[in-house]
Amino acid sequence: MAMRELVTGGAACAVPGSSSSSNPFGNLANALLNSSAKGQDLKELPSSLPTSSEAQFYPEAHGPQLPGSEFDQPYVQPGTQSSDFLRNFNSVGGGNGLLESAWDEVQGSHPPPMHGPQVLYDRGAAAQLQPTTLDGPPQRVLSSFLHSFVESSRGGIPFRPTQLPVLGLSAGDKQCIRDRSSIMARHFFADKSEDFINGQVNALLCSLDIDGEANSKGPLPARFRELEGYWNESQAIQKPGAHATDGWVTEFSQHRVDRGDPNVWAHSFEQQHGANGWASEFEQEQSQMMSADHMRGGNMASLAAMEQTRMLANTLAQNEDPKFQKSRFLQFVSKMSRGELIIDDNQVKQATSSAAGDWAGEYQQQYNAGSNWANEYQHGEVEISRANQWANEFGSEQEQHGSVDDQWVNQFSKLHVDDWAEEFGNQVGEGILGDSSADSWANAYDEFLNEQVASKQRLDSSRGVYVFSDMNPYVGHPNPLKEGQDMFHKGLLSEAVLALEAEVLKNPDNAEGWRLLGIAHAENDDDQQAIAAMMRAQEADPTNLEVLLALGVSHTNELEQSAALKYLYGWLRNHPKYGVLARPELSDSLYYADVARTFNEAAQMSPEDADVHIVLGVLYNLSREYDKAIESFRTALKLKPQDYSLWNKLGATQANSVQSADAILAYQQALDLKPNYVRAWANMGISYANQGMYEDSIRYYVRALTMNPKADNGWQYLRISLSCASRSDMLEACDSRNLDILLKEFPL
Amino acid sequence: MGSNDELKSEALLELMKQHLNTDAGKAIVEKIGLVYQINIAPQKIGFNEVIYTIDFKKGEVKKGAYEGGKADAIFSFKDEDFVKIALGKMNPQIAFMRGAMKIKGSLSAATKFTPDIFPKPSKM
Repeated sequence: MAMRELVTGGAACAVPGSSSSSNPFGNLANALLNSSAKGQDLKELPSSLPTSSEAQFYPEAHGPQLPGSEFDQPYVQPGTQSSDFLRNFNSVGGGNGLLESAWDEVQGSHPPPMHGPQVLYDRGAAAQLQPTTLDGPPQRVLSSFLHSFVESSRGGIPFRPTQLPVLGLSAGDKQCIRDRSSIMARHFFADKSEDFINGQVNALLCSLDIDGEANSKGPLPARFRELEGYWNESQAIQKPGAHATDGWVTEFSQHRVDRGDPNVWAHSFEQQHGANGWASEFEQEQSQMMSADHMRGGNMASLAAMEQTRMLANTLAQNEDPKFQKSRFLQFVSKMSRGELIIDDNQVKQATSSAAGDWAGEYQQQYNAGSNWANEYQHGEVEISRANQWANEFGSEQEQHGSVDDQWVNQFSKLHVDDWAEEFGNQVGEGILGDSSADSWANAYDEFLNEQVASKQRLDSSRGVYVFSDMNPYVGHPNPLKEGQDMFHKGLLSEAVLALEAEVLKNPDNAEGWRLLGIAHAENDDDQQAIAAMMRAQEADPTNLEVLLALGVSHTNELEQSAALKYLYGWLRNHPKYGVLARPELSDSLYYADVARTFNEAAQMSPEDADVHIVLGVLYNLSREYDKAIESFRTALKLKPQDYSLWNKLGATQANSVQSADAILAYQQALDLKPNYVRAWANMGISYANQGMYEDSIRYYVRALTMNPKADNGWQYLRISLSCASRSDMLEACDSRNLDILLKEFPL
Repeated sequence: MGSNDELKSEALLELMKQHLNTDAGKAIVEKIGLVYQINIAPQKIGFNEVIYTIDFKKGEVKKGAYEGGKADAIFSFKDEDFVKIALGKMNPQIAFMRGAMKIKGSLSAATKFTPDIFPKPSKM
């Protein structure tokens, strides 16, 4: 998968306004990798469910009970699996296994078998010489040409420039090909010299009439050498195909896409770590010696703070637990106490020249700290898992445009360090916390760092900003909307999300694309993303009733009352039949009672309209009048018994009014109708957990997470259930999101 | 519910209140056996706080300060942060370090304040 993700970086590469040819590499890679990727998609089909479920589900999926508008596309039989999209890819990828075997060879990190080159050379040459392949539409010519390039990698033979018809590539296309082929080549030829790789890439670019140097500042190898070092190292250590390597590559490519230019990366590294680096520390100290005069004027306040933290550091240091001793928290506190960090203006800063006292001793201390850092760095380099962590951490810090350290330090300073330190010191001193607590504090600090890392993304989504997937294989697809609808109908929610994201990237004003994307996210148990997508749908189509209802439901789930009320009322106001009931004076300041009354009027007006009862049920949830809500949903279910989302709404309402046993029955109905309904699986888990049946809840959470590992909620709940079920042994698997282990341990 | 700016926490505490009457809830009451007072601020800690008492001795959730003496621990949060902690999105110790959660009273009593004592809301 890493390879696929590497080359399908798509979104960042797509040239606005150009056709799908802007993404030839993505298409190629999709084509080549399709067979293996496809296999994974299919695992998401409800194979483990009773065989009857498919029969129940598919006809239903086209029935009128689908939330939202109906689709008129001919129905694709589940068995055939051959949407146009996939068929195309299969046909393009006639030599399907090529890239994969090339990849395997690279992974093997030994030179290709010597008997290979001659045969392979012939194949490569043949591909180039076949007249038919170099005719026809530019897209196909390009495709076969790129094939031959990939093929040449198998034998490690030099790739020869060749004459091609005019392809009409735009500047953007060219840049895209140049960038991606450079990266790809470095993975194909991991065991070859830089010169060889450059030769290969230049030959490719030359044939395509792309100026290899136009865009790169200086030769590529220099820019990547360091990273390649890591890559080779990871190759040497990891066995072929190991997941960690893939992960790292993915990680790397993600950050590369984000950053674009590795120089920025290097630059930021200097910015963030340079100040801490022992080398610059050393220089700083020297300049401090020069300006000894200034030290006399040292800030008394910071001296006091140093004294405080020094006491705290001593208290902490008395704890002999090695884990705690090594913790970054303690290091931070020690650093404060040594005056490397000072508190100034209620902000913690790096000490510059103000640190007073015996500079010689301090220099020694700082020097030691410096070598610690160096050791740690070295350690990280040797141990690949550490390196991974480091890379992750660093990468995410990058995304925040500021150093996590600084942020944390700022936060820390807000705590009124003095009081806090004193209190903490006292309590530790009195042994109140016990030995294990020290551990958990240290762990908590580490977790805190991780949390910081994730916080940016969360900030975005909580602000209603839609967060796109980094690597989307559907970018460049000719008709992602149709693909997304098909996937949605088949219950492949996560795939549908990707396809629909590609659609709305292509057509940002497509209300239907956004709407279905929102529904897919809601069914996938991700309300934040659902809200973000639905808000875009509403922008594009402000009066769409389904969008308004979906927004009302999602905001209710997120406990956001006033927002929920606003959208539910908007549903009424824009309804062709009930709009007359809406009083215009209400829209400014909505009161729940008024809205509820109006809806009750609507329900009396047409008791046979299931939708009114549904909205009314949601409203009663908002006011926590659960009995009334249950009644409304039951009424609606009599009118729409096949609506799986309605069964789930009933179940959730029952669960929230502490009728978990009934809720489970309702969820079961929903899942009979739609086996891949992630939200219902997750709700099942919640209901078991709320009844204290933690072992059972774990199985359902794990089940939901296998279908959508991106649902953060699910992971958090799983973690809680694991601790409650005394299965701390599985916490690590949970934290590393290792579904293989969890699934094996907790089959459903 | 009369106003539109109801706290998110209120929904969770309402669920908690009912939950403590179930078998699973009673097990939690038995396990904790402490009284927590929770001060929830809509925007900023210390301002416009709404006070709740979760009594894990009697198994009750009430609005207002604890009347039966001194609570074992008093927590202050912003509305949003309380929800994050109760739903397992934020570790209480981290919240404490960040200053997102303030604690008065016994720290050992406070360490029993963990996400698993809160029932989780289901989603429609």
